[in-house]
Amino acid sequence: MANARWATTMSMIEFRSVCKEYHGRRVIATLSLKIEAKERVVLFGPSGCGKSTVLHLIAGLVIPDAGEILVNDELVATAKKNLREPQQRGVGMVFQDLALWPHMTVRENIEFGLRAKRIPKKQRRQRVKEMVDLVGLDDYLSTKSGELSGGQQQRVALARTLAVAPGIVLMDEPLSNLDDASNVQLRKEIVRLHGDLGFTLVYVTHKRDEAEALRARIIFLRCGRIDDASSAVR
Amino acid sequence: MEKRVTLAAGALALTVIGLMPVLMIVASTFYVAGEFSLTTYQALLASSKQLAPLMGRSVLLSLSVTLLAMMVGTPLGVLLGKTDLPLRGAFTMLVTLPLLLPPYVIAVAWFAVLGSTGWIGRFLAPTTSEFLSSAFFGFYGCIGALSTAFMPVVMLLTIAYLGTVNPRLEQAGLLMSRWPSVLWGITLPLIARAILFAAVLVFLLTLGEVGVPTFLRYPVYPVEILTQFAAFYDFSAATAAAIPMLIITAVILVLEIRLLHTSALELSAATIGRRNAPIELGRWRFPLFGLALVWTLVMVALPIAELIVQSASLSAFADAFSRASDSILRSVVFAAIGATLLTLLGFFCGYLIHNRTLPLWRSIDALALFLFTLPGTVIGIGLISLWNRPITNAIYATPAIIILGYLAQYAVLPTRMTAATLQRIPPSLEQAAQLCGASWFMTLRHIVAPLAKRGLIGAWIIAYIFCLRDLGITLVVYPPGFDTLPVRILTLMANGAPSLIAALCVILIAVTLLPFFVGALWQTRAGRPP
Repeated sequence: MANARWATTMSMIEFRSVCKEYHGRRVIATLSLKIEAKERVVLFGPSGCGKSTVLHLIAGLVIPDAGEILVNDELVATAKKNLREPQQRGVGMVFQDLALWPHMTVRENIEFGLRAKRIPKKQRRQRVKEMVDLVGLDDYLSTKSGELSGGQQQRVALARTLAVAPGIVLMDEPLSNLDDASNVQLRKEIVRLHGDLGFTLVYVTHKRDEAEALRARIIFLRCGRIDDASSAVR
Repeated sequence: MEKRVTLAAGALALTVIGLMPVLMIVASTFYVAGEFSLTTYQALLASSKQLAPLMGRSVLLSLSVTLLAMMVGTPLGVLLGKTDLPLRGAFTMLVTLPLLLPPYVIAVAWFAVLGSTGWIGRFLAPTTSEFLSSAFFGFYGCIGALSTAFMPVVMLLTIAYLGTVNPRLEQAGLLMSRWPSVLWGITLPLIARAILFAAVLVFLLTLGEVGVPTFLRYPVYPVEILTQFAAFYDFSAATAAAIPMLIITAVILVLEIRLLHTSALELSAATIGRRNAPIELGRWRFPLFGLALVWTLVMVALPIAELIVQSASLSAFADAFSRASDSILRSVVFAAIGATLLTLLGFFCGYLIHNRTLPLWRSIDALALFLFTLPGTVIGIGLISLWNRPITNAIYATPAIIILGYLAQYAVLPTRMTAATLQRIPPSLEQAAQLCGASWFMTLRHIVAPLAKRGLIGAWIIAYIFCLRDLGITLVVYPPGFDTLPVRILTLMANGAPSLIAALCVILIAVTLLPFFVGALWQTRAGRPP
C-alpha cells in the first residue's frame, strides 16, 4: 500500500497535568494521560467534557494554561506556550465539520498538504491516486467537495488527512453527520486503515456504540478529567 | 511567527498613518517655536467668543440631522429589512445611493430642485420661490441634504442588526402577541444599542462635514478650521481649532463604547445568523409600498434626475471635461490606489480583529473607528503637522499625502468588511490547512483569500467609493496641481454656471458608481445576490 516514503512515524502522546480554561471556565482540569505509538484510543464522554479540546491541544491549535504536552518524548507545548507549531507536529485531523475547502476539487483538497510539503508534482499525483484508491473515490477527483454526499465528503477528509502520512491522526466526531449505515461502514474502514497504515489514532465521540465498535482503549472524560472507573481497555 | 509579525506590521502601519498625525496635532499645540508653551490654548480661549457660536451651530445641526435620520432611518430599516414589502432590495439600493456620494452633491441636487431657478421654482410665484431658495441656503438646507446623505447609515445598520436577532425570541413573542407588539417590545429593544450606535456615527459624521455647509453658506466649526488654514494661512490657529473637534469625537466614542457597550466588532457580526420569516404586511403592503416609493422618488430620484436634466447638454459636458478632465483622471487613479492599499491594510487589521491574534486587537478596532468619525479636516491638519518637513517632502508635496489620508480615515471600512467576511469562514478550514503543513501565507493565499474573495472585492468597491467622494482631507492636504474632482467642483461652485456644476456632479456620480455596478453585475453573473 504505502511505499517507504509515506511510512508513518511512530508517535506517542503524553499529557502531564494539563489544564485549559475558556473565559474563566475550566475545560480541562489537570489531565494526565499517555497514548502509546500506533495505539487506537477513543475519547468518550458527554458534550462539553473537553474531548475536542484534548484533540486541539494535541494538534497545537490550542495552547495549554498549565502542564506539558509531549509528542514522541519531545516537549511540544508547555504552559501558555507552543514549542512546536501545529504544522511541525506530524499530526493530521479530521474535523467534526470535515473542513473540506469548498472552492477546491477532491484532487486539490488531497493534494494541498503535499504541495505545502513541496513534494514534486509527479509524486503528488501518484500519492493522490493512492489515497483516492484507498478510500474508493477515484471517479470524483475533479468534483468540487461541496457536490459530494456526506459519506463521500467524509472519505475525502480522511484521504486528505492521510495523504501526508501523519504519525498521529485525530478524529473529532467525524461520523456524527452520517446516517447509521454509512456510519457503520466508515467505522470499519477507519479500523482497517489504522491497521494497515499504523498511525496513532485518537478518536472522539459521545456515542457509546461508536466508541465500542472501534475496539479501542476507551478513555472516559467527565468535566475535563479522566473518569477511571468508566475507562476501559478493550 | 510570520502571522504575528505581519499582523503587528499591519497594526503598526495603521497607528503610524492614523494615530501619529492626531498625536502631532496635540503635540504641536504644546510646542511653539521649539519650546513648551500654552499660547495656542490662550489664543483658543481668546477666540472662544467667535468659536463658541460656531461650535453651537455645528452641534445643533448634528443633533437635528441625527434626530431626523433616526426618525426616518429606523422605520425604513424595519420596513426594508423585516417585512415582505415588494422590491425592498431595489428600495434599499436606491435609498443608500446618497451615502455613496459626496454630501454636497446631494445639496447641489436639492438646489436644482428647490433653488430660485430650480424645478419647483418654475411652478411657484417668484416671491415664493425666492423664499424657498433663501430658506434652503442655511440651516434647513443643511439638515435636508445631510439627513438624506447620512440617513442610510441608520437604515443599513438597522437592517443588518435585525438579521442578528435570534428568530426564536420573536417566535416566542408571536405565540402571545402580534408583530407590532413583538417589534416594539422585543425586536427593537434588542437592537436599540445598535441604533444608538448608528445615531452616534451620524452625529459625528455631520459634525465633521464641510462640503454642505460651505455650499449652503452656513458657517459651522469645521469650516472655520478650513478657513483658518486655506484662507488665512494660519496653520497654528487651524491646529488649535482642531483640538475641540478631536476632544468631542474622542469623548463621544469613549462614552458610547463604555456606556452602551456596543462593541465595534458587533458590526462584523451583523447580518450573520438565521433570519426570521418576514413580517407579512397584509393589507398594509401596498400603502406602505406607495409610501416607500414616494419617499425614494422625492428624496433620491427627483434631485438626482433634476441634476441630470440640468446638465443635459453637450456644451455643459464639453465644458466640464475641458475644465476638469485632469481632476477626473486623478480622482479615479487616487481612489483606485487608495482602495487597493486600504483593502490590503483592512485585510490584515480585519484578520487581527477577527482572530484576536495580538492583545491590542481591541485598540486597533477602536482606533480605526475613531479615525473614521474624526472630521477629515482634522486628519488633514494632522497629516500636514506630521509630514510637512524637508525630510518627508516626498510625501508632503506629492499625492502620497492624499493616499495616506484615505488610509487613515477609511481603514475602518475594509477592516470591518474583512472581519465580517472572515466570520463566515469556519476556523476549521484554516486549521486544516495548518495541520496539512501549510505556512500562514500559503493558507492565506490558497484558503482564506479565495473564500473571502467576494467580501474583499466588496471592501475594495466601498473603499474606492469613499476615497472618491472624499472632500475633507483632500481639500486640506492636496499639493498644488493635484486636486481631485470633488475639490474641483467645490472650487468651481463659486462662479461656475449651474449646468457646468450639474455636469461635473453627474460625472462624479458616474465614476463613483461605475465599479459598484460592475461588482454587482459580477456577483449576479456568479449567481449570487450582491
